[in-house]
Amino acid sequence: MLKLFKTILKTGDATLKYPFAPAPVCDNFRGKPEYTPEQCIACGACAVACPPNAITMKARPEAGTHTWELFLGNCIFCGRCEEVCPTKAIVLSKEFELAVGNKADLYQNATFRIANCACCGKPFAPQKAVEYAIDVLKQTGANAQVVEERRKLLETCSDCKRKQSIHAGEMIELRRYLDEGKDA
Amino acid sequence: MSSLAETKTGQHYIDALRQRFPSTVLQEEWQTRDQVTVTVKLNSLPEVVEWLYYNQGGWISVLFGNDERSIHGNFAVYYVLSMEAGTKCYVVIRAEVDARTGEFPSVTPKVPACVWGEREIRDMYGLRPVGLPDERRLVLPDDWPDNLHPLRKDTMDYRVRPEPTSDTENYKFVNDASGETREIPLGPLHITSDEPGHFRLFVDGEDIIDADYRMFYVHRGMEKAAETRMGYDEVTFLADRVCGICGFAHSVAYATSVENALGIVVPDRAQLIRSVMLEVERLHSHLLNIGLACHFVGFDTGFMQFFRVREKSMTLAELLTGARKTYGINLIGGVRRDIQKAERDATLKLLGELKKEVAELVDMLLDTPNLAQRTSGIGRLDPKVARDYSPVGPNVRASGIARDTRADHAPTGYKLFQLPVRTKDSCDVLGRVLIRVEEFFDSIHFIEQALANMPVGPLLVEGFKYTPHKFGLGFVEAPRGEDIHWSMLGDNQKLFRWRARASTYANWPPLRYMLRGNTISDAPLIVASIDPCYSCTDRVTMVDIRKGKSVTVPYQEIERYGRERKNSPLK
Repeated sequence: MLKLFKTILKTGDATLKYPFAPAPVCDNFRGKPEYTPEQCIACGACAVACPPNAITMKARPEAGTHTWELFLGNCIFCGRCEEVCPTKAIVLSKEFELAVGNKADLYQNATFRIANCACCGKPFAPQKAVEYAIDVLKQTGANAQVVEERRKLLETCSDCKRKQSIHAGEMIELRRYLDEGKDA
Repeated sequence: MSSLAETKTGQHYIDALRQRFPSTVLQEEWQTRDQVTVTVKLNSLPEVVEWLYYNQGGWISVLFGNDERSIHGNFAVYYVLSMEAGTKCYVVIRAEVDARTGEFPSVTPKVPACVWGEREIRDMYGLRPVGLPDERRLVLPDDWPDNLHPLRKDTMDYRVRPEPTSDTENYKFVNDASGETREIPLGPLHITSDEPGHFRLFVDGEDIIDADYRMFYVHRGMEKAAETRMGYDEVTFLADRVCGICGFAHSVAYATSVENALGIVVPDRAQLIRSVMLEVERLHSHLLNIGLACHFVGFDTGFMQFFRVREKSMTLAELLTGARKTYGINLIGGVRRDIQKAERDATLKLLGELKKEVAELVDMLLDTPNLAQRTSGIGRLDPKVARDYSPVGPNVRASGIARDTRADHAPTGYKLFQLPVRTKDSCDVLGRVLIRVEEFFDSIHFIEQALANMPVGPLLVEGFKYTPHKFGLGFVEAPRGEDIHWSMLGDNQKLFRWRARASTYANWPPLRYMLRGNTISDAPLIVASIDPCYSCTDRVTMVDIRKGKSVTVPYQEIERYGRERKNSPLK
């Protein structure tokens, strides 16, 4: 019994002053995801990876936009989005105080423009993703002429690319299979 | 496949089975070197399971149905037996059930451990176990429509909520008492923990003559959601949320089941990190239960102290994974996070503090005369009952039976460092508390050893092949006993069937026998001693059958009476 009193005395106050003093968390704590739209290329990798569908991408081709949205109410703070993001546009912070008075405050979104295919004119990919690809190409040290040649390719949708490569290669046989595939 | 054939463990069970029951085995399929699925003729199912269970040292881990009509036209039932006498392996007995008759012979009359599983198959698939003594619903609520079986592939979307068919509870509680008894319902709702239950105690004066209970008030339909809504690689995060205490154990069990199905070999380092986190989880869970044991015997200061120290184990989890609970570090094929040197040093420091502080507190707890007085000889789990019902974890180990998945099947990183299996012969609440205390220190020792000898290498296997309709078992020893998962992959990057069995599911059925012969004031203590996903009930209604009047007493009152044992609320 005496030992018990000793332990109690030695321990003193076990409670924290929180919320009047900050409650520290460990490094690498997985808290609220911080999103930087300027960094984002709207590739949608995070929306594919997100297990609870807290991150969604909505394409509106008629308006020519692509909207990225995060609903914190669904977020499980797993950090898969951070892991798959190619541009570090989303990073988990240490923030854990997420209560809001208004549900709308739990939503965060950003709208991006969709690029139209240089060939058929149909919308096919986010403008920023196309620009990112061209920038990466420049970074590899390709000269201006190569970049211009490739730009055409990068600004073309995959359907058109497929058709072009078949025409260019004179692979008539292949084209037949392609059309057959469509019918089936 | 040739290397698999050479190292098979447990082939002799199958050979003996073929010899004992000629022309019964229709098919034999090995998932891993110590995991085999044997398809038998439907009519010999009870005999085969009984023979493996009682004659060959098998224990029922889990049983479940599967709607395989889209694959071969029939339903199937699977009985998973963990073989633990001599050669240790998993033998899964599978039988196909005709989709038109929907009937299969019940195994429960021969092996009582099958009772919950067969009742669940009846609810979820509408298959009828012929000869099942207890035909009440288990999982589905009383007001659920009769012919709606949620896990059939063609019945319903996972978002559908059917209209209730009745306004009253019509569940019949079973009372085996011969004389007159009073009836005490405990529950049913608003329980602090994640699995509310409704207990009905049948008492004579202060003595519990019999008990019955109803669970699944918060059945979340996770299996259905996983099968229809999520990708198979995302389910690790859902499995993390099966339980608020041993979630990581479920996540590892799920990931292992898919890895076993696809033949993925997880790198050693990843396996050991998983084991370290499983042991960290055990630290906090055991401290929680020891704390609660203090609380229920009226030693509240001890409860406060254990919970204060427990905070250190929560910090440990936060440090190593980035979250106090729902660690979320598992992926199919390995883990997402390494343990760095700084984290290792901080962990070792925290472990040292924990070891010292808990040792002092345990000394104090064991010196308290109240503890032995209140727990010794209470809530006896007879080894015979244990053998019939296949309970798991400290619950069964306190009855002198050395069942521990870590030792028996050495999942994940436990191959690298052996852990002792702690058993006690007292069969009572005290034994279960003492086992948890010993295991707590074993876990600390294991983590220290693992961190000092962490193998070097990759954390994750990438580039494996997803093969439709492969299936496998995954298992770990969670703080409360074996968690076992069975997964079958579909052909759409989803699961065809996921069966997750938490350890407490195996511990509920024998609880009835543990409650018999004790007094009402011991009931909360006994229920807490299996460390269920349930710890407290909202209020208690007492029905005096002789006088025909009922009294409603707040739960705090019966809990207070459990601790102080003065001023009985029954008087």
